[in-house]
Amino acid sequence: MFIFERRESVPLRLKIMIPIISIIIGLIIGAIAILFLNVDPLQVYKAILIGSFGSRYAFTETLVFATPLILLTSGLILVYRMGFWNIGAYGQYIMGAVFSSYFAIFGSPDLPKFSMLFIMICAALLGGAFWAFIPAFLKALWDVNEVITTLLLNYIALSILRYFMYGPWRDPTGLGFPLSKQFPLNAQLPRIIPNSRVNLGLIFGIIAAVIIWFIINKTKFGYELRVIGGNPRAARYAGINVASKIIIAMLISGALAGLAGMVQVSGVLRVLQIEISPEYGYTALITSWLSYLNPLIGIFVSILFGAFTAGGYLIQITMNVPYGIIPLIESVILFMLIGGEIFKNYKISYLKRSF
Amino acid sequence: MDGISTYFILITLLFSAVKSGTIILLPTIGEIFTERSGVLNLGIEGMMLVGAFFGFVAAYLTNNPYIGFVVGMLSGGLLSIIHAVISITLQGNQIVSGLALTIIGGGITNLYGYHYTDLRLTSTLKNFPIPFLSKIPFLGPIFFNQDIIVYLSYILIVVMWYILYKTKIGIHLRAVGDNAKAANAMGVNVFKTRYFWTFFGGLLAGAGGAYLTIGYAPFWLDGMTFGRGWIAVALVIFSMWNPLYAIIGAYLFGSIDALQFQLQAAGTNIPSSILQMLPYLITFIIITFATIFVRLKHIGVPKELAKPFSREEK
Repeated sequence: MFIFERRESVPLRLKIMIPIISIIIGLIIGAIAILFLNVDPLQVYKAILIGSFGSRYAFTETLVFATPLILLTSGLILVYRMGFWNIGAYGQYIMGAVFSSYFAIFGSPDLPKFSMLFIMICAALLGGAFWAFIPAFLKALWDVNEVITTLLLNYIALSILRYFMYGPWRDPTGLGFPLSKQFPLNAQLPRIIPNSRVNLGLIFGIIAAVIIWFIINKTKFGYELRVIGGNPRAARYAGINVASKIIIAMLISGALAGLAGMVQVSGVLRVLQIEISPEYGYTALITSWLSYLNPLIGIFVSILFGAFTAGGYLIQITMNVPYGIIPLIESVILFMLIGGEIFKNYKISYLKRSF
Repeated sequence: MDGISTYFILITLLFSAVKSGTIILLPTIGEIFTERSGVLNLGIEGMMLVGAFFGFVAAYLTNNPYIGFVVGMLSGGLLSIIHAVISITLQGNQIVSGLALTIIGGGITNLYGYHYTDLRLTSTLKNFPIPFLSKIPFLGPIFFNQDIIVYLSYILIVVMWYILYKTKIGIHLRAVGDNAKAANAMGVNVFKTRYFWTFFGGLLAGAGGAYLTIGYAPFWLDGMTFGRGWIAVALVIFSMWNPLYAIIGAYLFGSIDALQFQLQAAGTNIPSSILQMLPYLITFIIITFATIFVRLKHIGVPKELAKPFSREEK
């Protein structure tokens, strides 16, 4: 029989090996899935690698896709640390994009760039925070299951975006496509690397990750979050106001997701459209877990997954392999990672029955 | 509009409400039993997508909707085994595992699905009236002029309710979900019970998905469940883990779905994006009130939901 012994502390060796083995298994299963398409998986992986790190432009695209992920991951880590299951980053991201786009579409193009961007950023933070407040409030007050509410709010946010894109915000000169007009110059987030789409959002992301790391590890609020995440009942007995912590943490988390949405439309796309996210909402969930809920590690994991996304787009065009291969590999990695937790928590040994 | 045509419109509406409701009823029943055993599987959306897709492919290739249905059901069940291994054997985080299941379902079906978009099933499930019952005014044409899967779902609800509350299997199941340690002491195999009901939930999620493509919309569209799996998760709470109440929630959702569909077809002034929002919005409101109600009454919730059981650890 197997003997389970609870570990006192997790050896560093395991902490490093489990994610690496998870990624390798993810790639192996992904390769098997590709074989069924009668395509050579090695060619596909080579193309993903070239499309993400193979040239200067490819690497800048990786950073472009990593940018919203860094913001989303940092925000999610904050609430996951307290065991609040925000699956609604996608909806908060959409609301950030919608709120900020309002000013880009209807605001004066003569406004100084700094003021316009400042207003748009505030609107995005507010939009994301507002969308996060609803489930946080319901959870804090009546313990309404946040997994369900945040998820439903994703679909509701998407419907709102569709409404604007097919209705009042559609560009009348746009041949009927569900797109807004091009954002005026003063509503475009500056790009920071020449001849690329890398924009100021990357800096925002890195700053946000550092701030969230600081909040979690160096403040009383962060300490309380971790206590709640460990044992909510104990936290209540210790006199922590769990309800208010849930709401504050979710406001921050949602605001960062909203900012990610603004960065995407203002810094990358420069129009508002229905497709503004290659499944960032779900991907950020995986990156949060893969980085052990540490926002600084989250930066690098986000870049890795930004590479997956950039490469995934490329193979879709050049090799005719659907994008679905990317979420498939990512979810296998996630399965392996959480399945591997048991090896971190327990020392498992095999013992022959002696009776 | 005169009375007779209003009557027929209402019947047509409720007739498709039952069909649309069945898509969501099957997964809800499955998840009720999975959760009753103490396992939370949030991957219904993924299992439904896989069921819808592989069900469609099998029905298309064999030209037989029944084979398609079974294949769809089994593919949902197969996917649920991953969740069972992660959450029961490896004691991993069930919320994350369920979400991963949703993501993988979307990934697999997107990867293999694009060959099958633009195709339609030529043979789908046939409706047949049940003698006598279909003659009941109003209710007859709505409930008893349906296809075999809808009829089986009626039987399933009654059987599952009976199993849950009136049999030893049900007692064991509830014991495992409420207090695994005590159930283990009673001699119930906690692992086997949880594996079985997780697989059962997967089968029914796959069945719901398969019914979507085989009985409701006979084509394949990427991501075509559109969040129905999540609505099923919400309906489990709404039904307070009782299969009988699941009917109300599922048919209510079916009615909203059918209504928004008919309004769109009739060409109203309401934008389609707003109509499409309705099912999610109403589910959102319902789940909020259902939670408040459940909390006030302290009923239903399996006490050790999503809590892994380890026999070795004392």
